[in-house]
Amino acid sequence: MKKLWHVAWHEYHRHVFTRRFVLAGLLSVPLVILVMVGLIFLVISLDSNTTPLGYVDHSGLLADPLSAPAPEWPDKLVPLLSFETEAAARSALDTGQIQAYYLLPVDYLSSGHLSVFHLGEFKSPARSQFYSFLTVNLLSNTDPLIATRLVKGAEIIVQSPDGSRSISSKNWFNVVLPMIAGIAFIIAMFSTGGYLMHAVVEEKENRTMEVIMTSVSPNQFMAGKIIGDTAVGLTQIVLWLVFIVLPILLLRNTISLLSGIQIAPQTLLLVMFVMFPVFIMVSAVMAAIGATVSEAREGQQMVGMISLPVWIPYMLTGQLMSNPNSPLAIGLSLFPLTAPLTMLMRDGLTILPAWQIALSSAIQVVSAVGAIWLAGRAFRLGMLRYGKRLKWRDVFAKN
Amino acid sequence: MKKTLLVLKNEIITLITRPSFWLALVGIPLVGTLVFAGVGAINKSASATRTVSQVLSGPQDTRPEGYVDLSGIIRQIPESVPLDTYRSYPNEATARQALLAGEISAFYILPADYINEGKLTYIRPDLNPPPSRGDLSNRFTWVVQVNLAGGDILFANLANGPLKVDDISLAVIAAPDENNPLALWIPYIITIIFYMLIVGSASLLLSNISKEKENRVIEVLLTSVTPRQLLTGKILGLGIVGLGQTLFWFGTSYILLNLSGRTFQLPSAIHLPVSFLAWGMVFFLLGYAVYASLMAGLGALAPNLREASQATFVITLPLMVPLFLSSSVFMRAPNGMIATVLSLFPLSAPVAMMARLSAGGVAWWQPLLAGVLLAATAVLIVRLVAGMFRAQALLSGQAFNLKTYFRALVGRI
Repeated sequence: MKKLWHVAWHEYHRHVFTRRFVLAGLLSVPLVILVMVGLIFLVISLDSNTTPLGYVDHSGLLADPLSAPAPEWPDKLVPLLSFETEAAARSALDTGQIQAYYLLPVDYLSSGHLSVFHLGEFKSPARSQFYSFLTVNLLSNTDPLIATRLVKGAEIIVQSPDGSRSISSKNWFNVVLPMIAGIAFIIAMFSTGGYLMHAVVEEKENRTMEVIMTSVSPNQFMAGKIIGDTAVGLTQIVLWLVFIVLPILLLRNTISLLSGIQIAPQTLLLVMFVMFPVFIMVSAVMAAIGATVSEAREGQQMVGMISLPVWIPYMLTGQLMSNPNSPLAIGLSLFPLTAPLTMLMRDGLTILPAWQIALSSAIQVVSAVGAIWLAGRAFRLGMLRYGKRLKWRDVFAKN
Repeated sequence: MKKTLLVLKNEIITLITRPSFWLALVGIPLVGTLVFAGVGAINKSASATRTVSQVLSGPQDTRPEGYVDLSGIIRQIPESVPLDTYRSYPNEATARQALLAGEISAFYILPADYINEGKLTYIRPDLNPPPSRGDLSNRFTWVVQVNLAGGDILFANLANGPLKVDDISLAVIAAPDENNPLALWIPYIITIIFYMLIVGSASLLLSNISKEKENRVIEVLLTSVTPRQLLTGKILGLGIVGLGQTLFWFGTSYILLNLSGRTFQLPSAIHLPVSFLAWGMVFFLLGYAVYASLMAGLGALAPNLREASQATFVITLPLMVPLFLSSSVFMRAPNGMIATVLSLFPLSAPVAMMARLSAGGVAWWQPLLAGVLLAATAVLIVRLVAGMFRAQALLSGQAFNLKTYFRALVGRI
């Protein structure tokens, strides 16, 4: 037993305390998130063209116009210019004085139909500013309270019948958050699984293993490696969480989007009983692959085959979001490789029935145990066959 | 020259005699065809379509929804809403009873201060929030809006902007058609295809060289060929196989699609001219030459494949930038400043210029200039990497990092 912990600590130590782990493992995800946010802001700032916007009004709605409310940050204010005739607007467009012009026909108030003319492309922030200008003038004679409500619409708060959970349409972040967490989890799972596979193949290739086997039993060795590498993955996840959770906690009072974030206790249950066993299972399967192949590249191809089903829920995001309780969603929640992402995605969208959580976690635990057994066996058999690929048929054969 | 040809021949033969090569060559179009045929068969049979939609979306809930209006806003349900879509309940308790009894699937509570606060509670047993299945809740909020507007449907609708907008472009060059999703997505798809083609073929070279270095075959080879002959032979050999594979994939998908009764029809809004194919060939070959050489340099320096793979990210980064920006820049402003700069910059040109060409409206001199710049870069990089491809670098088992790589590339090592 002591030797098992020796192996585990050695694995943990040699991965975690390196510069590569700090750079690639820890900083990559926060860095990617930062780059993404930066790109979004870049695109928004590219979108904001503050050249004035023209309009020609034949309907009389804008005869004595009230000005539109200032746009919300990060959009910039686009000045609006009125033109008497279409010809005047067209010549202003041709000279570059305006970026586009709207034409409101005589029957706009009865048909709701208008046209917009532009030369290049015409981007959305200017459009939405013109629409709010139209709305303000349309509602100028309405009771201000009712007008505000008509413009702002309703904030729908979905609540479970017992009132224990509620999601507001304004806090869409709560819906996306589990998915982001699921993706980070999968990345961590495969990167640590990759370490494990490479470690096994490498030690087999350079024959370190023969030396190790003189003092540790194959089962102890394999279990130690799996525990060590799972710990590496968990370290990664915990540190990512710190990177993600800390800013949320610090900024939740200043940014309204973040203040609505709530983590239900069942999410933690999911992490404990569904994600953790899947993590161990994937690590064990990776180790088994490492034990059967003769070189790392061959193993990489097989890893590709395993990682494909894991991303299926991500590809079906739209479908799962609109029908989180469909037979497809339930099926994916039970199948070992697709369970983690599907369960997390559904958790943000619906109330998961207790039986599904229980059944799924039971399946995951059984698969994890099975995968460890498989890895131990593949390792025992593969160890004696250098340079030769172990066939999966042999692994399952009765000795 | 003879030895270069020998290396080239050997590369091609080794590659095409591998089972995995044939698996990928035949498997990818085969899987694509099977998926197409499967989807086609499902679409043709009504019962199969029904079964699939049952599996995808589950049984449809046809029960009405309830509402409790404490604010007194709802006076009428507009006629366009089917009868018995929403049932009114005097208070929350009766609505809850109806929900428990299964008479309604969910209910809304419109609080007394709705006009001030705007909060609408929606009690649903499955807690499915509005961003997902908003059809019924959207309609209910619309009913509330109409009632706020005193029953005037047109007025309530207009309060959220015009009902129909004719978008008329007066530009000489037609802007991408916003109503045709495929035309809009073409630059995006082209970006992905070219990225995968170039990186895929170039990576072959990386794994090839680092593997031969790892198992020391390269040491034996260098006794009879010069490093430059080896590099040229490998780049050409793997390039020919990569190009052949791509052409085979396009050819078979074209034939299989035709055989399965679907003609390969692009909507008339998109016409990719013959010159597009010609430019495609040029940019693929030049892009491949640049990236394959860079990858070869990486393979020559890194002691094993694993360490080399980590550095590929940095090398392929310029090619990824157009991919990141494809939805925001290339789909919306294919001839804007950022897109033009990226399409002229040699390292991102192979992907960026093809994306722009597929969107149309590129000035004639731009692909020419980008091609010349890219060709010059290719020549320069092949020369630099050939300098790097010296026996000393190939033989040494020294530790690898990006700094060494870039220093070696500029000849400082």
